[in-house]
Amino acid sequence: MTAVIHTEKLVKRFGHVTALDGLDLEVSEGQTHGFLGPNGAGKSTTIRILLGMLRADGGTARLLGSDPWSEAAELHRRIAYVPGDVALWPSLSGGETIDVLGRLRGGIDKSKRDQLLERFDLDPRKKGRSYSKGNRQKVALVAAFASDAELFLLDEPTSGLDPLMAAVFNEVVREVAAEGKTVLLSSHVMSEVEALCEKVSIIRKGLVVETGTLAEMRHFSRSEVRATLKKPIRGLGDHEGVHNLKEDGLELHFQVDSGALDDVLTQLAVAGIASLTCEPPSLEELFLRYYGDELASAGVPNGNGD
Amino acid sequence: MATATAERSRLKEGRLGTLAGTGKLLRFHARRTRVFLIGWFAGLAGMNAVIAASLAGVYSDPSSRIESTATYDTPAIRSMTGPGLYLDHYGDSLAVMYAHQMILWSTLMTAVMFILLITRLTRADEETSRLEVIRSLPVGRRADLAAAVWLAVLAGLALGLLVGLSVLGMDGADFGGAMLYGLAHAAVGITFAAITAVAVQIANYSSTSNALGFSALGFGALMSMAGSAAEDPEGSAALWLSPFGWAQKTFAFTPEQTWTPVLVSAVVAAALFWLAFALVAKRDFGQGLRSSRPGRSAAGSGLSSIGALSFRLSRGVLWAGTITLLLLSSSYGAVLGSADDFLDSMPEAQQEVFDQAGGTVTESFLATISLVDAFAAVIFGLLVIGRARKEEVGGRGELLAAGPVPRSGWPGSYLPIAMITASVSVLVGALGLATVGASSLEDGSYFGEILTAGLIHLPAVWVMVAFAFVCLGWLPRAGWLRWLPLVYVFVAGYFGDLIDLPQAARAVSPFEYVPSYPVDDLDWLPLIVLAAVAAALAAFGYAGVRRRDLQFD
Repeated sequence: MTAVIHTEKLVKRFGHVTALDGLDLEVSEGQTHGFLGPNGAGKSTTIRILLGMLRADGGTARLLGSDPWSEAAELHRRIAYVPGDVALWPSLSGGETIDVLGRLRGGIDKSKRDQLLERFDLDPRKKGRSYSKGNRQKVALVAAFASDAELFLLDEPTSGLDPLMAAVFNEVVREVAAEGKTVLLSSHVMSEVEALCEKVSIIRKGLVVETGTLAEMRHFSRSEVRATLKKPIRGLGDHEGVHNLKEDGLELHFQVDSGALDDVLTQLAVAGIASLTCEPPSLEELFLRYYGDELASAGVPNGNGD
Repeated sequence: MATATAERSRLKEGRLGTLAGTGKLLRFHARRTRVFLIGWFAGLAGMNAVIAASLAGVYSDPSSRIESTATYDTPAIRSMTGPGLYLDHYGDSLAVMYAHQMILWSTLMTAVMFILLITRLTRADEETSRLEVIRSLPVGRRADLAAAVWLAVLAGLALGLLVGLSVLGMDGADFGGAMLYGLAHAAVGITFAAITAVAVQIANYSSTSNALGFSALGFGALMSMAGSAAEDPEGSAALWLSPFGWAQKTFAFTPEQTWTPVLVSAVVAAALFWLAFALVAKRDFGQGLRSSRPGRSAAGSGLSSIGALSFRLSRGVLWAGTITLLLLSSSYGAVLGSADDFLDSMPEAQQEVFDQAGGTVTESFLATISLVDAFAAVIFGLLVIGRARKEEVGGRGELLAAGPVPRSGWPGSYLPIAMITASVSVLVGALGLATVGASSLEDGSYFGEILTAGLIHLPAVWVMVAFAFVCLGWLPRAGWLRWLPLVYVFVAGYFGDLIDLPQAARAVSPFEYVPSYPVDDLDWLPLIVLAAVAAALAAFGYAGVRRRDLQFD
C-alpha cells in the first residue's frame, strides 16, 4: 500500500510556541485513520500544513506523493476538507456556498449534492449568517462529500452535530471508505474513532506518541480484570504483569499486561473462578494513558496510571 | 419576607432596569478600544498641530493672507473650504484662515472615526457571539448601547479638548475660539455617533451599518459643499442640513463666532440617541429592523470561479465607489464654471500674474478636484483589499484555500478587483466632472481636457492599491499600514502647497509625479514609470501572498 500522507520530523513554530515538534504521520491509501489529541496538541496545524496553508519550518511532508506547499492548488483537486470551525459568507446561501466550492473543484454532482442535503437535513436557502454551528458544519460536509475527492481531511467534523447527524456522518464516512478512499479523521470523540478507524495516531505536544491499529495498541496495554474466586490466592500482587490490584475478600480487581494475561489467568484458574470479566482497554483509556501526567497535574486521578 | 425581597428586586429593576451594568461595560469598552482611540486622537490632534504650525510659517503676514483670498474667494474653492464670512476676516488673524481651510476636512475625518467606533462596539459585537455572552450577564438590554454612546460622548469631548489645545497659541487663537473650534469637532463626532447608533439598529450587518453611516457622511459633505459655494457670506440654507455645515457655521476665531450650531448638534444628537434607544428594544437580538430574505437554493451560473466569488463578495464596494465619485465629481463640476468668475472682475495686469503662475484658476481648480477624486477612488480600492484580509481572518478563506485554488486566485484575485474598483471610480469621477463641468463652463470642448485631467491619475491610484496589496502579502497583521499612506498622500497633496511642505517630503507621494494637467503639459514618462512601479509592487505583493502562512481565526 502506498502512503497517501507521509510526514517526517515535521516542525512548525508560531513565534515562541512550538506547535509541531518533529511529527511523523503515515496514512496509507484506502485507510480511515484516526487522529487523536486534545485541543492544542497540533492536529489542526498538521492538517493546515498538509493543505499548504501553513509552511513547515522543518521536516518533510508529502501528500499523494507531492509537496503540499508548492503543489497545493493541483493537489486540492483530489482533496476534500472540512474545518472544525466552519465560517460561511454571510451574504451567500448554503446552497450557493456548496455550489461555488464544488465548481472551484471543477463541477459538482447535482444528484449527490441533493441527496446529501436531504440526508443531513439541511435547508440550502438560508443565508450563511443565519446557520447555527452545526448547520455551518453540515454545509462544509455536504460540499466535501459531494466531491469525488480521493482524500478526505476532516478536522473535528462532528463537533457541532447532534447524535442523529453524527450517525449520518458515520454512515457517509463508511461509504466513502468502502469506495476505497482515504480519510484522515481528527477527533476527540473516541466512540466515533473507534467505530470508523482502522488505524489511530495519538498526538501529544506536537509529536505522534503512538500509532497503530486499535488491536495493536490494545496488545501493548493492559486489560481490566474483575474476578470472584473460589478460594484465596497469594502472590498475585508480586506478579510483574499485574497492576493496581484491589482485593476485597475473594473479589479481585486489577489490570494486567496483555503479555502476562496467559500466565495470570492460569493462576486464577488454579484458585477456581466463580465469575470473570476481562475487558480490553477502550480507546478512551488508551488515550488517557498518554495524558496521565497531564491529568494528574490537573488534579484528575488516573485510574490507569501506575 | 418573600414580598420584601420581591419589592427590593423590583426597586432595583426600577432603578437600573434596561441600563444595568452600563458603568462596567463602559470601562470594558474603553479598555478594548484604547488603541483605536489613542491612534485617532494622536492623528487628528497631531494633524491639526502640524498644519497650524506649518501655516504660521507661510502666512504669518496679514497682507499675504488678504492677497490669498483672491484665489480662495470663488464658489468652487469655497465648496472645498467653507463659507465666505471667514474670508472677510483673513486679515484679522492666522487662526481665521486656519479654521476656514481645515474645519471641513478635519471634522470629516472625525466623523469617520465615530462611525467606525460605534459600529465596532455595537453591531460588530452583535454579529459575532461576543455580545451574546455579555447579554447573558446581569446587564440590561440597552446597557451595551448606552455604554457605547457614553464612550463616544466622552471620547468626543476629549478629542474636542485635544484639538482645541493643539491650535491654542496660534496667532488669533484665544482660549474661547480654540475651544469652539475643538468642540465643533466633538459636536460632529457625537452627531455621527448618534447617526450610526440609529444605523446599527436598522442594519443587519456591521458592513451595512458602516455603509449607512458613510452615506450620511457623504450627504453631509455634499450639503456643506453646496452651502459654502453660495454667495451669501454665511452660506446658504444647505449648510444647516449638514453636521459639517454646523461646524463651519461656528465661524470660530472671527468676531462673529457663535456656539449656537454646537447646541444644534447637541439637540440633534440627543434626539437620534433617543431614537436608537427606542429602536434597540423594539427589535430582536441579532436582527436588524429589516428582516433578511431567504437566499437561492443553488448558485447562479455566473458564480463559478474564484474571481467571480471574490467579485460577488466585494461588488458592494464597487457600487459605493461609483455612486460616491459620481456625486462628488458632479457637484464639483457644477461649480467649476464659477472658478474663473472673479478673474474677469480683476484688472488686466493682475490677471496676467495669474496666468504667469501657470494656467487659469479654472485649470488649477480642475487639477485639484481631479486629485481629490483620485484620493476618494483609492479609498474604495483599499476597502476591497481590506475585504481580502477580512475573509482570511474570518476563517472563510479556509474553505477556498483548501480548494484547488492557487494563492494568486485566493487571496490574489482581490488585487485585480481592487484595481478595477479604484479604476472604475476614477473613470466615473472623470466622466462626471467632464460632463457636468463642460456644461457649467458652457463649452463642450472642455470635455476631453477634463476627462484627461482625471484619467492621468490612474497610474498613481494603481501604485496606492498595489502598495496596500504588498502590505497584505508581507505585513498582513498591520491593517492600518494600508491606510497610513493614503492619509499622508492626502495631506501632502491637498495641504502641501498651503503649508509649504518640503519637496523631499512630497516626493514620497506617487501623486506628486502626475503632471498637474491642464496647468502643465501632459508628460507621459512619469505616468509610464508609475504604472511600472505599480506592476512591480503587484508582483512583489503576489510573492508575499504566495510565501506566507494564511492566518485563520
